[in-house]
Amino acid sequence: MKIKVLIIVAALIFVCGVAGSIWALNAPRKNRVEIKSGGRVLYTLDLSREGNRTFTVSADKGVNVIEIRDGRIRVQSADCADQTCVRMGWLDSAAMPIVCLPHGLVIAYTDADSEVDALAQ
Amino acid sequence: MRSKKPDAKRLALLGILTAVALIIFIVELQIPNPFPIPGVKLGLANIVTVYAVYRYRPSEVAVMTGVRILLGSVFSGNIMALLYSACGSLLCLLGMLLLRRVIDEKHLWLASVFGAVLHNTGQMAAALLVTQTPSLLFYYPFLLVSGCLAGLFTGLCTQLILPRIKAIDQT
Repeated sequence: MKIKVLIIVAALIFVCGVAGSIWALNAPRKNRVEIKSGGRVLYTLDLSREGNRTFTVSADKGVNVIEIRDGRIRVQSADCADQTCVRMGWLDSAAMPIVCLPHGLVIAYTDADSEVDALAQ
Repeated sequence: MRSKKPDAKRLALLGILTAVALIIFIVELQIPNPFPIPGVKLGLANIVTVYAVYRYRPSEVAVMTGVRILLGSVFSGNIMALLYSACGSLLCLLGMLLLRRVIDEKHLWLASVFGAVLHNTGQMAAALLVTQTPSLLFYYPFLLVSGCLAGLFTGLCTQLILPRIKAIDQT
């Protein structure tokens, strides 16, 4: 009896996960991007105004090379062991920040101040 | 279920299990991960952990897993991963050792699913603490799905393996 309850709980967790994933994948893109390392905001960029360029971010534990091209951003290369951040590719969804866990680096869309102001007016 | 064995033999078996888990862990590192999401992993080495949870004392399982994580991060050269997997494993072990009292061996896969989900939860907590970025939580649904699937897989593997290693227990 207990086991049936537990199976139902597991199934619920799974369904919640699937629903959440679909929701997260559909979150829209924004223009403003924050690059954080270990909780500190290193850069705030407005992608619609950035030209194509690459630059290097030195986090506490290593180096990530970040590329901005055509209003999109990605980690071009990194000297971390797992390379997950590089293989995540371009930042596509507001819900899916690019993370480099070995370096504690996060690239994520944020709510742009200018947009909030524009909406408020 | 738990036969009384001389301590030396028990220790030797635990050592072998740790070595097997470590080998599986290192072999799995070489397999490219098709999902570029941090924390998503099959976790084949946990087959050994699940097996140990159902066959050995809690303290023995804890030591075994601890040694495996420590040596695994040394061999993979990813020391930061130590923090994430340690948090995940801690939560996972606590959960599974408790669930063992409720879930019998026939439903071992279920304990494994919960273990995997708890493991991902622990990792997520560690990642939140390290990066101080709440938006990481958006990854949690993906981790839940992958945890359920990976846990199911490793659980079923263990269930298939259990009757085949009964021979070890009887010697």
